Amino acid sequence: MMLKIENLHAEIDGKPILKGLSLTVNAGEVHAIMGPNGAGKSTLGYVLGGRPGYEVTDGSVHFLSPLPSREGPGVGGETHDGSSKNRPTPGPSLSGRGEGEWIDLLALEPHERAAAGVFLGFQYPVEIPGVSNVQFLRESLNAQRSARGEKPLSGAEFLKLARGEADKLGMDAEMLKRPVNVGFSGGEKKRNEMVQMGIIDPAFAILDETDSGLDIDALRIVGDGINRIMRAHTKAVLLITHYQRLLDYVKPDVVHVLADGRITRSGGPELAHELEREGYGAVAEEQMA
Amino acid sequence: MADVLELPAPRGEAWRWSALDRLRAVAASPAGAPPAVPLLDLGGARLVFVDGVLDEAASTPGRVSVSSLSLATDHPLGRQATGTGWSLTLDAAQAETPIEIVHVATGGANHLPARIVLGEDAVASVVETFVGPGWTNRLLQVELARSARLQRAVRVLGGDGFVTTRDEVQVGQGGSYVACALAAGCSGVRFDAAITLGGDEAYGEMGGVLLTREEERHECAVRVRHAAPNGQSHQTWRAVAADTSVASLAAAVEVARHAQKTDGEQSLRGLLLQRTATVNLKPELEIFADDVKCAHGATVGELDARALFYLASRGIAPARAKALLTRAFVADALDRIGNETIRDAFAEDADRWLEQAL
Ligand SMILES: Nc1ncnc2c1ncn2[C@@H]1O[C@H](COP(=O)(O)OP(=O)(O)O)[C@@H](O)[C@H]1O
Ligand SMILES: [Mg+2]
Repeated sequence: MMLKIENLHAEIDGKPILKGLSLTVNAGEVHAIMGPNGAGKSTLGYVLGGRPGYEVTDGSVHFLSPLPSREGPGVGGETHDGSSKNRPTPGPSLSGRGEGEWIDLLALEPHERAAAGVFLGFQYPVEIPGVSNVQFLRESLNAQRSARGEKPLSGAEFLKLARGEADKLGMDAEMLKRPVNVGFSGGEKKRNEMVQMGIIDPAFAILDETDSGLDIDALRIVGDGINRIMRAHTKAVLLITHYQRLLDYVKPDVVHVLADGRITRSGGPELAHELEREGYGAVAEEQMA
Repeated sequence: MADVLELPAPRGEAWRWSALDRLRAVAASPAGAPPAVPLLDLGGARLVFVDGVLDEAASTPGRVSVSSLSLATDHPLGRQATGTGWSLTLDAAQAETPIEIVHVATGGANHLPARIVLGEDAVASVVETFVGPGWTNRLLQVELARSARLQRAVRVLGGDGFVTTRDEVQVGQGGSYVACALAAGCSGVRFDAAITLGGDEAYGEMGGVLLTREEERHECAVRVRHAAPNGQSHQTWRAVAADTSVASLAAAVEVARHAQKTDGEQSLRGLLLQRTATVNLKPELEIFADDVKCAHGATVGELDARALFYLASRGIAPARAKALLTRAFVADALDRIGNETIRDAFAEDADRWLEQAL
């Protein structure tokens, strides 16, 4: 098991959105979450990412991170001077939690969840004027590496990595120099999310409507990217989607229907086709019956 | 000291945000040890003034002379800067590597006049740094002849001091005046300037960044006067205020009746790091000509919560995320500095301030 959500209740501005959601994801699996608009799919992603304003009122989320962690409040703030060079590679003995230990995800700050290996691909990626994509990505990666006790990448090492990922995902390398998402089309923003995921190389990805805004060619490239980056026996994916078309490229192991803040049905890949044919209404009702 | 007590309480709109009571208190502070002097390595002339007096051992004045100056002004603070001061005079087509002037204060009050006169096609760049406690008051008069170009950069760093500067600038035909100011840590600051574009096709620019925290009070009060046709001016100011500090930006563009085809632009923006802080903005356009293009924008806001969460979701810790967004906010004002060494130094000063404030 890698992620265990139990009886999760969450509200925004006092309005209950998630109403007792339970879900278990094993390492090596891809789970698709489908459901009607307003069901709470994005809310689930934000709650897992720790977005302020999304208040958890009940339930728990536990995460088994395969990544090492460093102890103490110095997360992200550690300096790398000469004295730390001889330090042995941190393993379980140096860690606040050892590898292979369950962590209470909801107790971590958003940036600590990222360092633990959780990646949230946004349905609406945010524009950040004045901060270049390269700087943003390098700071992100090095903050996470530092939190895990790894050496930061140099500018040259990082650029090589970033150019490689951009290339694989069909993003013009020039876009790395542009301010984060500013002036990007909807599809370019989604590709940029995947470039980020490729660079950060997370253990667990929650991808919120990554397929929206993509044309059919881009969909294939992004689908291939998800498989390449995330299909491993130590990793897992929650793929939030509205349509079944992304699932033609990224084959889910389990498909869930999220309606009115809960998982109302779970099944194999065939459930996605059933939903596509019959609509959410019919499938949700079937559960009620 | 006597000067301070005689200081007439300046009244009216131009002084509404000034912390003149604090100025009096700071000017009465006892002298202490001189602070560390941050120097840039520019390879040109350098003058270090300690409490307004040239430190000859630390200075290589080059073409800059130090002598008695009598500058006429009716500015209430500027007119107190009398006596010995510095001046730079370049004849036609002369150029000068960047000149560094450092104003070190140890407490009490000190005043210094200065003058820059550039002949036709002459080019100069001057960077000034202010450090230390007490009241430091400066008057600078600038005259740019036809096609002369002057670049200025001014930074106020650290300390319990109060720095007031008054610039009075005349730009001749086709001349160019570009000034960028940074205040990053000082109890009180007032950048006060009157820039007159007196020749056809003159260019004038003044902008900068005010970074305030704790109980600091910073302001700029800049007036650009278009007195001839085809002039262009830009004023880009950014204010970032934390804690209970107050940063105020007042920028005016005045276009005389015959100054047709004027292009004037103002951008004043404030960022509140806490809601207890204050940013005042006052953009002003006074246009008496009919064929002009003048644009202004003025906004005050907070850091974008969505952007902060986006950065956090990628692993960037909250203080660093705030610093990144705040740096981005002030970047376009600091990017106006042409000299790379100076621009980098100012950017580092801003970064250092952010690390302390966030
Ligand atoms: N910031 C917000 N403030 C108030 N209600 C919100 C906010 N964001 C989402 N909601 C509400 O929460 C519910 C679930 O939204 P969301 O998670 O975005 O659904 P989905 O992603 O499944 O379409 C909707 O009813 C929506 O109106
Ligand atoms: Mg959604």
